[in-house]
Amino acid sequence: MAVAAVHSGGIADHIHPEPEGFLRKYVFSLDHKIIGIQYIVTAGIFMILAGALAELIRVQLMKANGGFMTPDTYNAVFTMHGSTMVWFVIIPLLTGGFGNLVMPVQIGARDVAFPWLNMIAYWIFPVAGLMLYSSFLMGAPVAGWTEYPPMSLQGGAGTSMWCAAVFLVGVGSTMTGMNFLVTILKMRAPGMTFTRMPLFVWGQFVTAPLLMIATTALGAALAALFIQREFGVPFFDPAKGGSALLWQHMFWFYSHPAVYIMILPAFGMISEVFPTFARKPIFGYKMIAFSSCAIAILGFMVWAHHMFTSGMAPTLQLPFMVLTMLIAIPTGVKIFSWTATLFGGILEFSTAMLYSVGFLLLFTIGGVTGVFLAAVPFDLHAHGTYFIVAHFHYVIAGGSVMGALAALYYWYPKMTGRLMNEKMGKWSFWLYMIGMNGTFLPMHWLGLWGMPRRYAVYDPQFQTWNQIESWFSFVMTASILLTIFNALWSIKYGKPSGPNPWKARTLEWQIPSPMPYYNFKHIPSVFSAPYDFAEPLPYRGLEEELTDSPPPVPVGAH
Amino acid sequence: MAVASVTHAGLVGRPYEEPDQLYLETRELRVQGFLLFMVSDLVLFSSFIFAYLYLRNTGQGWPPPGAPKLDLALAAINSVILFGSGATMHFALENWKHRHFMKFANWIVLTIVLGALFLSGQLIEYAKLAVGWGSSGIFGAGFFTLTGMHGFHVFCGIIYLTVLLLQTLQGKYTFTKYTGLTLGTLYWHFVDVIWVVLFSIFYLY
Amino acid sequence: MHLDRGFWTATAVIVLLSLAGLLFWIFVPITGIMPEAVDRARQIDLLYRFLAASGTALLAAVFGYIFYFVFRFRRRPNQSPDEIGLQIHDNHRLEFWWTLIPALYILALAIVSVNLFFQIEPVNAQGNTLVVEALGHQWYYTFRYPGIHGEVKDLHLPVGQPVTMHVSAYDVIHSFWIPDMRLKADMVPGLINTLVFTPTRVGKYELLCTEFCGEFHGEMRSGTSQDHAWVYIEPRAKYQAWYDATQKAQANVSDAIQVVSSGAVNLSGGNPAKGHAIFVAKCSACHALGPFDQKIVGPGLKGVLHDPQHPNLVNGEKATPEDVAKILQNGFNGPMGTMPNQTSNGLSDKDIADLVAYLNTLK
Repeated sequence: MAVAAVHSGGIADHIHPEPEGFLRKYVFSLDHKIIGIQYIVTAGIFMILAGALAELIRVQLMKANGGFMTPDTYNAVFTMHGSTMVWFVIIPLLTGGFGNLVMPVQIGARDVAFPWLNMIAYWIFPVAGLMLYSSFLMGAPVAGWTEYPPMSLQGGAGTSMWCAAVFLVGVGSTMTGMNFLVTILKMRAPGMTFTRMPLFVWGQFVTAPLLMIATTALGAALAALFIQREFGVPFFDPAKGGSALLWQHMFWFYSHPAVYIMILPAFGMISEVFPTFARKPIFGYKMIAFSSCAIAILGFMVWAHHMFTSGMAPTLQLPFMVLTMLIAIPTGVKIFSWTATLFGGILEFSTAMLYSVGFLLLFTIGGVTGVFLAAVPFDLHAHGTYFIVAHFHYVIAGGSVMGALAALYYWYPKMTGRLMNEKMGKWSFWLYMIGMNGTFLPMHWLGLWGMPRRYAVYDPQFQTWNQIESWFSFVMTASILLTIFNALWSIKYGKPSGPNPWKARTLEWQIPSPMPYYNFKHIPSVFSAPYDFAEPLPYRGLEEELTDSPPPVPVGAH
Repeated sequence: MAVASVTHAGLVGRPYEEPDQLYLETRELRVQGFLLFMVSDLVLFSSFIFAYLYLRNTGQGWPPPGAPKLDLALAAINSVILFGSGATMHFALENWKHRHFMKFANWIVLTIVLGALFLSGQLIEYAKLAVGWGSSGIFGAGFFTLTGMHGFHVFCGIIYLTVLLLQTLQGKYTFTKYTGLTLGTLYWHFVDVIWVVLFSIFYLY
Repeated sequence: MHLDRGFWTATAVIVLLSLAGLLFWIFVPITGIMPEAVDRARQIDLLYRFLAASGTALLAAVFGYIFYFVFRFRRRPNQSPDEIGLQIHDNHRLEFWWTLIPALYILALAIVSVNLFFQIEPVNAQGNTLVVEALGHQWYYTFRYPGIHGEVKDLHLPVGQPVTMHVSAYDVIHSFWIPDMRLKADMVPGLINTLVFTPTRVGKYELLCTEFCGEFHGEMRSGTSQDHAWVYIEPRAKYQAWYDATQKAQANVSDAIQVVSSGAVNLSGGNPAKGHAIFVAKCSACHALGPFDQKIVGPGLKGVLHDPQHPNLVNGEKATPEDVAKILQNGFNGPMGTMPNQTSNGLSDKDIADLVAYLNTLK
């Protein structure tokens, strides 16, 4: 063999024949790339649903005395908006979607460790989503995505359905976490040590244990709530000896790591986009990787900062306050490192790069307000108000969503072999920046001035600002719709991209677009991190990937 | 013996085949994946254990008014049965490693029987307590939920071990490739370890 | 790596913006928008100014450098597509400083916050404290005062007097927020949370619920209808006038379910050991033998007859043996639940004497 390839007879050489038939290829596929696309498409559909619910909220809030929806309907709408966005859009999109699509190729593997588990985990997702939305038909859940008891002990069967649906989608999440963890630990290409891994892989690697551990804790909380509602077991009912605060501890022990599940993959995404479009290495690779680990670990220790007003013992509040403030340090290090990556670069403002710069600006705002909220005396005023709504929308809509949009524009060629339209992309970016900021910036001061969250009707003195926010939200919606249109239009009319339109250096760009079912004809070996643009590509064995040579033949009978 | 000849027929030609590279790599993945599954299961139990300890210490005290007292003696006997089944499973796997098929079969059957005995003991205890899951306040929330979850894990374990036994009879495992048996043993020991914790926090605390 | 004139100009602009921000946050008249109605509010507002000023400086730096780099290092049309940027992987000195300085800032913030935290946290108030209870319901507030029977709709407080406010809720979690006081406590069924503060500014203030509590959560705030509470901080004379009038108006409001007998129970000869057994059998389902705020349904009873800090009884009476006996006789129909009266509980007069004797031993 002319090529210095690795043929050990192991997993790297264990190639399945190409799947045949529509069902095997596109519906019940075991191929991580197809599964990734399935996640992205399904999450996109849920994003449209959740976005529509958001617009219902904004229409209601244009009038201080409401009237567009009954309060009960409004409560169901914001509950489903939050529940859908967290569990059915952001988490599946960033982990199951882009994680599946890109990570195995970036580590030089042919698939994830457990392809069957991967497929089952995907199919749980739309089924759970149908279950969630069926709750509208049986008395929808109304107490917010946080469903605090005793409030969540009241009401129709929809709340129990909510418990079951979120539990189920959590099972899929846990499976994905386990799958990714084993894949990254065990299936990296020869020579790819941890410090040679792309930062997107680091993002998935630190998120995977959170998916596994934190989501299971949520499952326990949901199971307990379901058991109380359906069988009367009084975990959370104070009249029968239970504790309303117990739910908050169990729920937030998961839900705080959940927000890191929502952001750490996005950190990984923009860490790929910046070097590519600045033509220089990511600044401070080791610190970015190390600080991701620190954030993942610290993320388990700060949950009660959601509970400062709840009546927790004062002595308990202090360590949570201090630990929450500590997380600002590794986060700040990353923000400075990404900014420094821009210094001295040759900056190309593709849509992916625009969204990444937008991420850097808006996530920083969200991070700053997070530090505000860590200080208990300030939080005592701001908790439960629109200041909180502003904070988390800046880190999620300004952070996670922009990271995901950057990832979409960046990796779209790898899915389809075509480029998304740049003109539409740029329009979508500017509409998003204008729309998002117009919607969420005023919420900071509205909250401080006295507008609580989850109010179907509110003090008329806030009406003007609410109307402004609603108009800007329509701009934001237009942006998302434009992106979705762009993604669909470009499948047919997008310019063919070729294997590496961005001249990027990670492994997925060294194989054809769209990526072939076997990923690599020969698994390469890796001898450096990929970010040094002055050096040739740090891989050996990729000579045949872009040629006409036949696909690899399975070694040994299967 | 007829059974022996059936089983040995399944193993003929393959019992000592050398594991290839693919098997070794796949085995590593499966073992790691299974360990992670058990970590996740541990988190599930830990969450409910936290809930129980929290309720116990911030509410009506334990046992709460109207709740029955637990029978330490019955539980102790039951625990011995369960730990015994852990030992028998260990012997089963050891015998397999030493290529004694019949001894393996005997020990695994004994394990399954002991597991079933443990479950029966649990049901007897539940009947003696004579209170409902939802009608005994935080007693139900703590005790029945956790021991019920554990019992469910034992039940699944019994099915799991039975399936493994049937698979060995069909010749699925050889004396050199038996990852499934290792994982089954690991699961059974995990169920034992959980019981140590539950026994301590309900009967000894 | 060279830091050119453009870089230093950008840096200078950033420093100027940060200073402008600092001046803004020092002088912006927060009280013009939202008065500070309690002693702590000024310090909380100071903390906010500190956070906002440092946040502004950080944003100025991050935004400033990003905008500058994006402008300065954008690809020019005349640059070859193969051209690469400065291949800088890291700079340990820079990374050291930009880790240390934020760490020092966080340390400073932590110290300031912890300090303020201890000043806010409820401690046993010194001097003449007014103890008030606030209760959350779906979807309104009620208040209880020592010496006033029943509940009142609005919160009246005399300016300048320390207040200890116990909050709880009847049905679901609510929250007690007076924005002009910058203080908030969740009202959790089964728990009593405590706020300690001194109102410092006379006025009429809004009270809002900030924890989702059901269909009309949005209306559980001052001003939506006649039913909803306002907070009045008043000069002492005006407060006293209100208090006296209300006390008189509600003198005959009975919290009892059914008055069993008008005669008092004979408390002599009560047997504490028997009382203990009765307590375990009939009372422990709803009352813990713990501190006052360790609620099950009713409050904890440790020290009920001896602890001077123990709040008054639910009916507004002071905790004397005779008044405790009266509650045991007549029961209590309260927002948290119903305490059965003597007949429903199956307590004889002798049982009541034993119980009171037992409660007398709880120090």
